[in-house]
Amino acid sequence: MSNERATGSLMPRVIVCLDVDNGRVVKGTNFKQLRDMGDPVELAMAYEEQGADELVFLDISASSDNRPTALKRVTDIAKHLSIPFTVGGGLKKLDDVKAFLDAGADKVALNTTAVLKPEIIDQTAKAYGSQCVVVAIDVNKEGDKLPFYIHGGRTLVDRDFNQWTQEVAERGAGEILLTAMHKDGTGSGFDTELTGRISQQVPVQVIASGGAKNEQHFLDAFNQGADACLAAGMFHSGEYSVNQVKKYLADNGLSVRS
Amino acid sequence: MKNILIIDTKAGNLFSLQSAIERLGFNVTILDCPSDAANEKTFDGIVIPGQGRFGTVLENISARGWPDYLERAFKSNIPMLGICVGMQIFFEGSEEDPDAKGLGWLKGQARALDFPKKPMVGWAKLDGDYWSDAVVYFVNSYAVKSSDMQIASTNYGEVFCAAIKIGSLTGVQFHPEKSGEKGAEIIRQALSNTLSSSGDRPVSGDRPVSGETKYE
Repeated sequence: MSNERATGSLMPRVIVCLDVDNGRVVKGTNFKQLRDMGDPVELAMAYEEQGADELVFLDISASSDNRPTALKRVTDIAKHLSIPFTVGGGLKKLDDVKAFLDAGADKVALNTTAVLKPEIIDQTAKAYGSQCVVVAIDVNKEGDKLPFYIHGGRTLVDRDFNQWTQEVAERGAGEILLTAMHKDGTGSGFDTELTGRISQQVPVQVIASGGAKNEQHFLDAFNQGADACLAAGMFHSGEYSVNQVKKYLADNGLSVRS
Repeated sequence: MKNILIIDTKAGNLFSLQSAIERLGFNVTILDCPSDAANEKTFDGIVIPGQGRFGTVLENISARGWPDYLERAFKSNIPMLGICVGMQIFFEGSEEDPDAKGLGWLKGQARALDFPKKPMVGWAKLDGDYWSDAVVYFVNSYAVKSSDMQIASTNYGEVFCAAIKIGSLTGVQFHPEKSGEKGAEIIRQALSNTLSSSGDRPVSGDRPVSGETKYE
C-alpha cells in the first residue's frame, strides 16, 4: 500500500473541534475541570479567520441548555460562518438530526446513536445526503485489540471495530471521525498507522482525532493517509494557530488551503 | 440594494446560502413558486441552491412552474447562479436519476465520476483562467465531466467541470456559500449584472449551441 496521497486537487483539511457546554466553549483539563474558552460564535469566526477548513461543535446539542436555545446557537453560527461545520453529541433520533440540520448545521456527527440505532445513518443519508453524516468512532488500543466505545468512552461495544467502519460506510456515512482514545490527551500525535489503514480500507473520508500537540503530528497523519485532522487543545491554548500548522504543511510539500 | 431571489427547491436548508448572500449586503427573497407579483425581472439575480437529488429538485421545481420562469430569466440575461445540483439541472440529465430530464440549456449530463472516495468532501483548487487557483469547498458524488461552457475544472480521481458560464448564467459544482471569502467573491461576481467576462469564453445570451466536449 502506498502512502502517497491520490487525491488530485482535494486538499487535506485542518478541523478545529469546539466542545460546547451551556452555551460556552469549554476545554477539559484532567477530565472534570472545565475551563471557559469563550463564546462559540466568536471563537468560530476567529478560527475561520485563522484558516480552519471546518469546525466541529461537540455536545452543543447535548448540553443542559434547552433545545430551542441550542438550535438558535447553531443558527447563529451558520449565520456568521462561511466554512462548513458539524454538530454532534446527544442526537438520539432522526428528529434531533433533522432539527440541527434545519437549524443550519452542515453535518451531524453520530456516535452512540449510530451504534444503538444504526438505521439512523441510512435514514439521515437518505433524507439529507451522505455528506451530512459523519460517524464518530472512539477506538482504544488495548494490547493488539481495538475495542471501541460509546457513551463518551464509558461503554464497550461488543462488535468488531473494522467491521463497524465498513458498515457505517455501507450505510451511507460520508465521513468517519476516528478518535484514538489511547492517544487522546497524550500529546504524542495521532495514531497515524490506524488512521492510514482505515482511510485505505473504507471508501469514505477519514478524520484523524486524538493526540495532536504540534504541527508535525498533522504532517505525519496526512502523510499516512488521513483525509483530515482534528484538534482542539493545541489551538484553544493559543500555542498554535491554524495558519501556523498549515504553513508548516505547505512548507513540507502538502497542498493546503491558505 | 440588490434583490436576489433564491428558488426554494424544497430539497434542503437554505439558511447558509441566504446568510452568505445577505453578508454581501444583498436583500434575499425566497420563493417556492413563481408569483405574478414577482416576475423574473423583479430580481437583480437568481440563485438555485445546491441541495438534494437531481430528480427531486427537477420534480419539485417543475411541479411549481419554475422551468419557464428560469428560461425567461436566462434569455433576459438576469444574472443567475446554480450551485452543485442547481448547476447540474442546466444540463440534460444525470446518472443520479436517469429518468429525470434536465433543463437542457447545456449539452451533457452529470455522472457518477471515478472519485477515490465518495462523496467528494473538502477543499480543492480550481484550474482555469477564470477564478485562477481559487480554493473552494466541494461536496458531491456526481458531476459533469466537461462542458463547452466550462470556465473552471478540478481534479479528484479524474478531471471534471467545476464551473460554467454563458453570458449572465453561472453554474458552480462547488459550494461558494461554504467557501470562505473566496466563495463570497464568486457569489458577488455571479450576481453582478456586468456581462463583460474576464474569462476566455464567448459571452452570449443566446441558447448555447451543442458541441463536442472538451476533455475525454
